[in-house]
Amino acid sequence: MMDTPQPNSRRAWLAQAGMGVGALALQWMLTDAQAQAKPPVLKDKPYNDLMPRPTHFPATAKAMISLFQHGGPSHMDLTDPKPELTKRSGTDYPGDVHFSFVNQASKKLLGTPFKFFHRGQCGMELSELLPHTGEIADDICLIRSMHTGANGHEVSIRYFHGGIPGILGRPTLGSWMAYALGSETQDLPAYMVLTDPGGHPVDGVTNWSNGFMPAMFQGTVLRPKEPRIFNLQPPPNLAGTSQRQNLDLLQSINQRHLQSHPGEAELEARIASYELAARMQLAATDALDISKESAATLALYGIDQPETREYGTRCLLARRLVERGVRFVQLFHAGQPWDNHSALKPSLTSICKRTDKPVAGLVKDLKQRGLLDSTLVHWGGEIGRLPVTQQHGTPGQEGRDHNGQGFSIWLAGGGIRGGMAYGATDEFGHKAVENVVTPNDFQATIMHLFGLQWDKIFYPYNNQKQIITAQRAARVVREIVS
Amino acid sequence: MVRRLLLWTELGWHSSTFDNQSRSLATKLQRMLGSVMMLICAATSVVHAQEPSVPHFESDIRPILREYCLDCHGATEKLEGGLDLRLVRFMQMGGDSGVAIAGNDPESSLLWQRVSKNEMPPGEAKVSPEKKEILRRWLVAGAPTLRAEPEQIGPGVPLTEEERSYWAYQPIRRPAITLRTDSRARTQLDSLIENAMPSELSFSPDASRLTLIRRVYIDLLGLLPTAEDVRFWSEHTEPNWYEQMVERVLQSPAYGERWARHWLDAAGYADSDGVTLADAERPWAWQYRDYVIRSLNDDKPLDRFIVEQLAGDELAGAPQGDWSANQIECLTATGFLRMAADGTGSGDNSPESRNRTIADTLQIVGSTLLGSSLNCAQCHDHRYDPISHRDYFAIRAIFEPGLDWQNWKTPNERLVSLYTAADRQQAASLEEEAQTIAQEKNVKQTEYMQKALEQELMKYEEPLRGELRTAYETPGDKRTDQQKMLLDKNPSVNISPGVLYQYLPDAAEDLKKYDARIAEVRTKKPIEKFLQVLAEPANHAVVTKLFHRGDFNQPMQEIKPGKLAVLVPEGESTTFADDDTSIPTTGRRLAFARWLTRSDQPNPLLVRSLVNRVWMHHFGKGIVATPGDFGRLGNTPSHPEVLQWLATELVDKQWSLKELHRMILTSTVYRQSSARHSVGDAADPDNLLYWRKPIQRLDAEVVRDAMLQTASELNRAMFGAPLALIEDDAGQVSIDPNQPRRSLYAKWRRTQPVALLQTFDAPVMGVNCDVRPASTVATQALMLMNGDFTIAQAQKLAQITRQVAAHSEIDPKWQGDLAVIQPPVPTWQYGTGNIHYENGTVESFQPLTHFTGSQWQTSPTLPDPQNGWVLLHAQGGHPGNKNYPTIRRWIAPTAGNVSIEGSLGHGSENGDGVEAIILHKGSIAGRWAVKHASAATPVGTLQIMAGDTIDFVVHCREHETSDSFTWNVEIKLTSPNGASENFASAAGFRGPAEDYSKLAGQLRAAWLQVYFRSPTADEMDLLIRFAQQQIRLLQDEPHRVPAGSTVSQQVLVNVCQTLLNSNEFLYVD
Repeated sequence: MMDTPQPNSRRAWLAQAGMGVGALALQWMLTDAQAQAKPPVLKDKPYNDLMPRPTHFPATAKAMISLFQHGGPSHMDLTDPKPELTKRSGTDYPGDVHFSFVNQASKKLLGTPFKFFHRGQCGMELSELLPHTGEIADDICLIRSMHTGANGHEVSIRYFHGGIPGILGRPTLGSWMAYALGSETQDLPAYMVLTDPGGHPVDGVTNWSNGFMPAMFQGTVLRPKEPRIFNLQPPPNLAGTSQRQNLDLLQSINQRHLQSHPGEAELEARIASYELAARMQLAATDALDISKESAATLALYGIDQPETREYGTRCLLARRLVERGVRFVQLFHAGQPWDNHSALKPSLTSICKRTDKPVAGLVKDLKQRGLLDSTLVHWGGEIGRLPVTQQHGTPGQEGRDHNGQGFSIWLAGGGIRGGMAYGATDEFGHKAVENVVTPNDFQATIMHLFGLQWDKIFYPYNNQKQIITAQRAARVVREIVS
Repeated sequence: MVRRLLLWTELGWHSSTFDNQSRSLATKLQRMLGSVMMLICAATSVVHAQEPSVPHFESDIRPILREYCLDCHGATEKLEGGLDLRLVRFMQMGGDSGVAIAGNDPESSLLWQRVSKNEMPPGEAKVSPEKKEILRRWLVAGAPTLRAEPEQIGPGVPLTEEERSYWAYQPIRRPAITLRTDSRARTQLDSLIENAMPSELSFSPDASRLTLIRRVYIDLLGLLPTAEDVRFWSEHTEPNWYEQMVERVLQSPAYGERWARHWLDAAGYADSDGVTLADAERPWAWQYRDYVIRSLNDDKPLDRFIVEQLAGDELAGAPQGDWSANQIECLTATGFLRMAADGTGSGDNSPESRNRTIADTLQIVGSTLLGSSLNCAQCHDHRYDPISHRDYFAIRAIFEPGLDWQNWKTPNERLVSLYTAADRQQAASLEEEAQTIAQEKNVKQTEYMQKALEQELMKYEEPLRGELRTAYETPGDKRTDQQKMLLDKNPSVNISPGVLYQYLPDAAEDLKKYDARIAEVRTKKPIEKFLQVLAEPANHAVVTKLFHRGDFNQPMQEIKPGKLAVLVPEGESTTFADDDTSIPTTGRRLAFARWLTRSDQPNPLLVRSLVNRVWMHHFGKGIVATPGDFGRLGNTPSHPEVLQWLATELVDKQWSLKELHRMILTSTVYRQSSARHSVGDAADPDNLLYWRKPIQRLDAEVVRDAMLQTASELNRAMFGAPLALIEDDAGQVSIDPNQPRRSLYAKWRRTQPVALLQTFDAPVMGVNCDVRPASTVATQALMLMNGDFTIAQAQKLAQITRQVAAHSEIDPKWQGDLAVIQPPVPTWQYGTGNIHYENGTVESFQPLTHFTGSQWQTSPTLPDPQNGWVLLHAQGGHPGNKNYPTIRRWIAPTAGNVSIEGSLGHGSENGDGVEAIILHKGSIAGRWAVKHASAATPVGTLQIMAGDTIDFVVHCREHETSDSFTWNVEIKLTSPNGASENFASAAGFRGPAEDYSKLAGQLRAAWLQVYFRSPTADEMDLLIRFAQQQIRLLQDEPHRVPAGSTVSQQVLVNVCQTLLNSNEFLYVD
């Protein structure tokens, strides 16, 4: 927070400097800078609260649930059938391939061992590994032409979250949403993260970093097991009225203290943090209690089965949070379960079994509750995988190396056209060749669905208008918007 | 003038991390004016301002080419397409596809064609339209250069004047200071700061004395002052009391603890190895932590401090017999180079893992000592800073003899034992002693075995007895099959030492005594301690190869150990000797460390990064806000001359850190108030110019330490092995509450961060931590409102406060406001007295008058000389002698029908039991006797009037010994209107009616304990109103008062907790 410059201070600066000896020099600098690039002139003060804010135009999405699939789901085996690849499996790939695991590199094409089926009214082709996703085919828009240009995990993860490949220290997508739109609820954090019981994902807490924005725009982590939020409840003798009285006393003392520090944002923020904490005690307890959900709902998410219970529970919690006005909920896996460098068949089967049903259950549940229209659901990883074999010397151990040149993600709800496949990779699934979509396009499109002109939402930092796409080329993919 | 410089900084350097245009603007100015004397520039630049701006190669084009093109067209020996873009004349010569630039027509220039169509560079990153436009204008202008191009250039991308003149690489030079005489400036530093302010701004008035005392103590020690400290300095009458205080505080050993933590953040201190899931513990890392504490307390000159940490092993040399104290100190210091995560000893000893550890170590060295993101140059030239791929490996070559990935040592293999020859000898002689006892034991054991055997054999008749004896005495491998069978059939004969106790219990006991003696002797051995060091083996001048794209599988040419080229003047050697033959090790790190710390020409990056960090901790933000990166991806200095001044002062004052603190702390800029005012807010709301002292939140460690301190719990013991962690059922990690020492001493495991500390932004070490964020989130509030730690400290603080308040006076008005609150009429009374058993009446009810906190007695003495053991507590009690039964009396609040359930118990096997009687209005409603048993004590319906009593009497029988009893009763009272209410003896148990008036003084005392100041009348009024409100709540809801506590006590605990949660406590003004 301390590093956040307030833009109007610079404006004050400019005003002062416009007089006296320095004026001409300043004039020159401005002119010269203008000749080369737009000078940074910041006019607006950044938001410093979580009140709901107006959009630029009517929004179709109000909330987003991002089911991030760390590691790089293998699109040739899941979402992007490649008959040519299957046909030529075992022969050498004719083009250039960039490998991450050079020692195990091979140019031998590896056809998918899985069958594909046409699903839904739309006939979208999906792998046998995703039977439940098949059931929501008419609700999702599958983008088969994602492209980060970099094969590394961290590089692409940071691209998706922060807008620039490989660069840390930027606010993540959830921070931008919370910043741009505020929160529908003042009882829960605007941006919540549900982590995996197995631990943090690759790149750890930077996955939900607020970067150069104030901490209030950081993702709040819900622990993977009870208590989902530490210290949420007071001991019984303090609960209720007693703690309320204590808090009232605290706020009275703090208000008196603030009188000698008028306008000290940091102190005001701490006063507000106690009120949020008090409201959270009630709201979060209610949101996290799934005991009153019906058996049918629990079954829909696979919570009644051991394999899907954990991920299903988190998917259900995501819905309950969104229902209560949380703006952005993101689910993470421990490590990177989709990073199938070896033993492709069993390892991919296993992660699909854990996630396919809960993911589809979430979309179905949102739909039956009428929430899908205003809730954008995102499923996808940071990269895909190569069409060639990653060798391990042992039959059955083959896997696939990283591929940031072409891969799939899908979106559903919140104004997205359902039942649609968009873009395409080459005949082997190596590179995105048609209607290429970058993470910056993805970000711009999401902002658009939320009623925001993506390049108009900025945060002043380093005397620059920082925007989500970091001034990199981006476009709203209007073709997938209904 | 300084003001303009700042402005220029804001607009130019500061404007963007990626914005080459404004940077080139800055470099233009810099070029014209020289690096430090920038101020005179304004007028000069005006002249230039009139000229049309034409891009030039060095200032405008080369940075673009560096970012996008030079990796393939210049950096490497083999040029892609034979095209070299390092110089304009090379472009004009062109490559395989022809000349790259021709004439002044962009369209016919190949460079423009390829770049404008995005054919070049290949890959994702394309040249932005703005940058293309600069390129086009440059080509139109005829590709001008600022100066003649060099005749010859060496391999790789040469450094340009523009790169060399970047502010961070400039030598340290003392800035010229126009001293202020017209202001409150006390020091040169103040003049520098104030000169940078616009005329309407100046320093704020000095902060109040109390604020200054608290500020200095917390800043330098990470601890609050004691009440005694506050009193002493508040009452100090000398004009230089403040300077004296700074001096005194700097001498406190707590200073080293506080500032060590700052350094440990930068060094990436952790008590575990990280990398793998095991996150193996580093049992000896703390020795390095203690080294840092001691060094800072001794005010070890920072140059020495740095040399020791980088090359302590080379300084120490080989041991001559035992390690000397100095050698141990030097070796301990190299723990700095062992802070990086290292999984090679805990499951991942792969080449990747080893190289990762080396890379992390270099990252720590780079960000901590060089203010540079070296790691960006691991795979290719740094895109923005003049740090080449080659430079990276030159630095790596300095460390590789000690961190040799091809002859790797795991963390355990790098430990150095501190055993001395004397220790070893003592241990050997003690072991000898132990062995002697062991032999004695063996002899004795053989005797006992023999005895046991004889005893057992006596159970058999001959000849079986003899056969068994022979079989047993024959060694196992020589026994015949028949003998084996015989022993199998008669296993009881097969006696072994392990089962001896079954035959001769006394013998086994006797043998155990020998074991105890052996163990005792062994515990006398000196404990073997270790150091975690980086010690380079002798004669190990390994060859470092540059890794293509940072991949160790693709080693390229050899790289000699060397410096960052940009810091070496042109024409001077950039390398260090491969091997210093005067010492056993290569001497590379020693040479590097000495190069960094030369006093005649200190390394500007090192000195700036050191003073910048010190400033950051004193003011919450560095002069460069990115202390680990002074490059173009980092921030530019807000006050460049202050950085210069501090840097020159540090070196001139013999690298004394304490001297640096003195200079900063005695300045007006530090001593001023933190209060905002409208003039300042209008001119500079972010306080970028330091017109007031920024307020700072307590650091994570200080939050915990200050709470412990306020609760008089803090154990100030210094040094040693880290404090154990405990993990509760929920997985929340905290420091063992039985070791309330400073947080610095906690075990800092990478995978087990202490929840309280982490919540308040203490780093969870990945590599290292340059800047801690100061976040304000609801989870912190939850932690302080509901966490066990805060509540425990509040309880302890309340306890202390009650003692303190007992001796202080308070305005009777406040007491009166609380005294008027009537305690509730008790429904239960506790007494003894004479019972007339025949007519069922209590002839006299004598209340028990002494309350211990949990039970009522007749006096503090037990047994009481007159009444004996008579006592009552929540669950039951003990009757006295025959004349003194216990009477628990219930008084009916309203009329109605009463029924009673109850359970009477007498637990002891001794004594003759007790008898219990329920009396109501002269009749016995029930009578039971129990001895080592329990009985239900139900009573049917009794009709009662308001004010009626029901007495629950227990008396002894013949004897009062062992007559402890339990008797829980529950009375159900049904009113005529049908409403019913339950009265349970245990839940309704109370001590004496409280005198709430004492609470007033306690509240005031608590305030004073936490804030070091008395509450104002308004604040006192607030506390009293809170107390009134909460007393009523706790009276109505007695479950809120924990057992053994009282309403007043709980109110006080809640107030204490609230004060510990408050901003006045959590922030430093």
